[in-house]
Amino acid sequence: MVTTPATSSTANARQHGLLAELSALRAVVRREWTIFRRYPSWIIALFIWPVIFPMAYILSSQALAGPTSGGLQIFQRNAGTTDVVGYIVIGTIIWMWQNIVLWNVGFALREEQLRGTLESSWMSPSWRFSLLLGNSVVQMLVMLIFIGVSLVEFTVFYGVRFNGDPLLVVLMFLLSIPSIYGLGFAFASVVITAREANAFVFLVRGLVMIFCGITYPIAVLPGWMQSVAQFLPQTYIIYGFREAMLNGASFQALLPVYQILVVFGAFWLAVGFALFRRMERRARQTGALGQY
Amino acid sequence: MNNWAIEAEQLIKRFPRRATPDSANGDNGPAGKTEPRTRWPFGRKKEPAAWFTAVDDVDLQIQQGEVFGLLGPNGAGKSTTIRMLCTLLEPTSGLARVNGFDVVKQSNQVRQSLGTVLAGERSIYWKLTARENLEYFAALFHIPAKVARCRIDDLLERMELTNRANDLVEKYSTGMKQRVAVARALLAQPPILLLDEPTLGLDPQAARRVRELVKELKAEGHTILLTTHYMEEADQLSDRIGIIDQGKVIALGTPAELKRRISQQDAIRLEVAGWQTEMAESLRQLPTVENVVPHYTGTDSLWEVNLLTANSRAVLPGIIDRLNTNGTRVVNMNVVQPTLEDVFIHLTGKALRD
Ligand SMILES: Nc1ncnc2c1ncn2[C@@H]1O[C@H](COP(=O)(O)OP(=O)(O)OP(=O)(O)O)[C@@H](O)[C@H]1O
Ligand SMILES: [Mg+2]
Repeated sequence: MVTTPATSSTANARQHGLLAELSALRAVVRREWTIFRRYPSWIIALFIWPVIFPMAYILSSQALAGPTSGGLQIFQRNAGTTDVVGYIVIGTIIWMWQNIVLWNVGFALREEQLRGTLESSWMSPSWRFSLLLGNSVVQMLVMLIFIGVSLVEFTVFYGVRFNGDPLLVVLMFLLSIPSIYGLGFAFASVVITAREANAFVFLVRGLVMIFCGITYPIAVLPGWMQSVAQFLPQTYIIYGFREAMLNGASFQALLPVYQILVVFGAFWLAVGFALFRRMERRARQTGALGQY
Repeated sequence: MNNWAIEAEQLIKRFPRRATPDSANGDNGPAGKTEPRTRWPFGRKKEPAAWFTAVDDVDLQIQQGEVFGLLGPNGAGKSTTIRMLCTLLEPTSGLARVNGFDVVKQSNQVRQSLGTVLAGERSIYWKLTARENLEYFAALFHIPAKVARCRIDDLLERMELTNRANDLVEKYSTGMKQRVAVARALLAQPPILLLDEPTLGLDPQAARRVRELVKELKAEGHTILLTTHYMEEADQLSDRIGIIDQGKVIALGTPAELKRRISQQDAIRLEVAGWQTEMAESLRQLPTVENVVPHYTGTDSLWEVNLLTANSRAVLPGIIDRLNTNGTRVVNMNVVQPTLEDVFIHLTGKALRD
């Protein structure tokens, strides 16, 4: 074959505009999905981890409740639910969701930086944010399966009965996405130029774990901790899912949570995007992308 | 606008000095105190304690259809130059144009005019097959799927990868991975190719295959800028060569022109057992002897010593006299035509490879 190099770029067959960017995004999604399937650890991530992780909390709650389960009644009064297992399951699933996003989306670009592939994608004329976005789309698909599997596993093994309106639950899921992934974008951008930022993932994990009440109602926290909790979107996400899935809350009742999540989501997406742009500029100055 | 394929004027790139061991060998560049700083990752950018000049005032003019070799030792600034040309790095100052487009202001057009091979085998996805890799990058370069499919088939064929096209890249040899990387650079049929050390780490046969490929691509009309620290490679492939050291282009011309600069001289290669460092000084005191560069071969305490002289017949006895003392022995000796390596030694006083 003889490739005749064009003397100018316009002589080449090439797509333009939004359509071209969309097929680039689709290519990133396909790449990620293909690679994901080729690492066998996904089975553990998707099917085993969801049951294992909450189990520790569920078992300790049963132990604490005592032989007559007297303790549970107090917990139920505090937490406003009769389904302690469901309560814990929802908290831990949200925590795992945020955690997985921080690791997987947060280190998506970093990992490519380490492997050496980041620069090759970066040199293309495509929109660079697609690289992160495409990764998140795959993560989202995986998380949907993850959450679905968890719910099935808990109804089967623990007899948790989820009784909410599925549409409201889906809406809650959709409105949680911007906050959770915006935080992921922010991390993904920061870790490229500042390696020390790895430590912040642990910090955020810890914050969410302690402040957002993944296994207990916020009300048991001291006052100052409650005030911190109200600035973390995960607090509302966990609360919202519990209301929607366990207590059969109505749209009216959930509306304030939805509204707050829209605000948090817009905020974190903006932060994530701004940090991404900053990283892009800074990497052009320092050559950070090619370092490992 | 003129029609250079690649053009650089007073191109400079400075990096904030890093506190890694690998900048420790950089005794080059303007001196500056190294002061490691841990930075608050969300904080604002501070002025770094010191700057390191990786590319220092480089001027280049590369014609269309030309193969230009950038030859220099480790850390000379070859990759940094390529990264600026392919828009991954922004020059600290100066100007660069690729295919007539400014690398800063028209970076998108620059990216569409270029095929770049950087970091070779590491630049492709090992968990994908060759075909999947190429399909992915084709989409990133906005090539419509149907066109891409034909081109990928052709490129795989050309790179002799067709029958392994559906195997994961991780199972390939280094040479095959390098060929996938080259195929990726050719996907968008760019007029200009930047190849950063295309034969690094390849076995001799695979390296030869890549060099043949470079010649074929030139024959098809591509402009090629390639970097290397193998002088034979630069000599063999390039129409013109720029010798770069410590960020500066210190010589530029056709291989023949460069060699002619020292053609009145003979290069002497000695193999010496039991070399002592002070012997270099003693050799330099001989008339017409210059550029004495000793270099440990890594075997049996043998040293290779290169030097240039205007008159080998006159100085050889003196050299042997001065070396064969105190148990030191000259075990081998050749008088040769100067190569580009000698040109480099002549210019910098040190060997290309260390
Ligand atoms: N992103 C960076 N930040 C700081 N210093 C850098 C960066 N990239 C390169 N350098 C330094 O700049 C100098 C030139 O590096 P460069 O990679 O351009 O050399 P090179 O000629 O390609 O060498 P090699 O043969 O080792 O690839 C080196 O001393 C290197 O340590
Ligand atoms: Mg290099």
